[in-house]
Amino acid sequence: MNYGYYPGCSLTGSAHKLDKGVRKVLEKQGHILKEIPDWNCCGAFEYGDRKELTNFSKRNLEKARGLFSEIVAPCPACYKNLKEADEKKEFDIQHPLDLCGEAFLSSMKQLHDLKGLVFTPYYGCILLRPRETAISNKTVMEDVISRFGGEIAGEKVKDKCCGGNQIFINKFATERLSRLILEKSKGTMVVFCPLCHMALKTFSGDRKVIYFTDLLLYIMGEKNTL
Amino acid sequence: MQKTEHIIELAGYEKEDLTVCLGCKICASVCTVNDLSISTSPQELLQTLFLGKDIAADNPLVRYCTGCYRCTHACPWDIRVPEIVRALRDDLAVGSPFEKAFKGSVAIWGRVYEPYVLLKAVSFLVKEGYLKHMNRWIEYMGIHLPHKVKAINSSSNTGGSKGKKGGTL
Repeated sequence: MNYGYYPGCSLTGSAHKLDKGVRKVLEKQGHILKEIPDWNCCGAFEYGDRKELTNFSKRNLEKARGLFSEIVAPCPACYKNLKEADEKKEFDIQHPLDLCGEAFLSSMKQLHDLKGLVFTPYYGCILLRPRETAISNKTVMEDVISRFGGEIAGEKVKDKCCGGNQIFINKFATERLSRLILEKSKGTMVVFCPLCHMALKTFSGDRKVIYFTDLLLYIMGEKNTL
Repeated sequence: MQKTEHIIELAGYEKEDLTVCLGCKICASVCTVNDLSISTSPQELLQTLFLGKDIAADNPLVRYCTGCYRCTHACPWDIRVPEIVRALRDDLAVGSPFEKAFKGSVAIWGRVYEPYVLLKAVSFLVKEGYLKHMNRWIEYMGIHLPHKVKAINSSSNTGGSKGKKGGTL
């Protein structure tokens, strides 16, 4: 399948590992990702004027028009903003987690299993809320971890807020919320959101925080991604 | 236009949309700000706004709303309080140095260039004790040159907000 790809700003910088991971995983599964040309920032959550915010993503959709009908956007904020800007539902805007269905998993080449390893799949907020833009399978990370033999922990914190949005505004708030999540979970934290990754990693000490794509790449045979 | 209407419109709502609030306060019971041991009620904020009363910049939601949408998810009418809070923040001009640097980067390049944002907000980061986290961030930060997005063609149909702000990259 050919997809238009919208990496968003974080994935060109602090979340470049997620960018590489998404590209690699989807490529290994036979998908082709092509970046939307000259894409711009989606505005994240920084603009109080909803029209102004939506216009950022409308421009990105304009750039995709005629080139792509299916778009993949890994960053939850970008994904939400793009999906909401597509008012006439002209595009099929997907989150990579929604591509990890049965067909994807059964065709995945498995070289490593997760036996003896404990993971907390952590979704945070925007992948699950608001419901109009939430991913369709809300247990997709658990499904993958258990399918390949891993142990799941931290069920009660999977949809709590890490406060990532406040990390450069009220650091104490992010620290308090992230520590609550870390305390009430076990093993390696598995995330998909660049902000959650930054917030949890800042306060995680020795606990591992990885992207879900790191986990998939490990199962597919890569070493040193866990 | 009244201030209330202005804020509600910024958030993409009409005043009538908020009349459906039943006052059940389920939003208050699930609000993430509670986890900071700060008492708050999105429902009261909506009511205050609806009645046309001022909401101060130190209102707990204006200061600490994390945009988690737990309130929206629990609300019988899916009212998007985080978007109303964001509109309030805009109206009150309470953006942090980070938010200003973020918007500055978008105004220059059309994208967020993280080194620029960190540099612009450096005095805030030093003052607020962020430097001790730098080692951690450097572990996974990517270094690259900024990409400058081309200006939007004014004839392109972006459904804009009539010029002033939207679509001016």
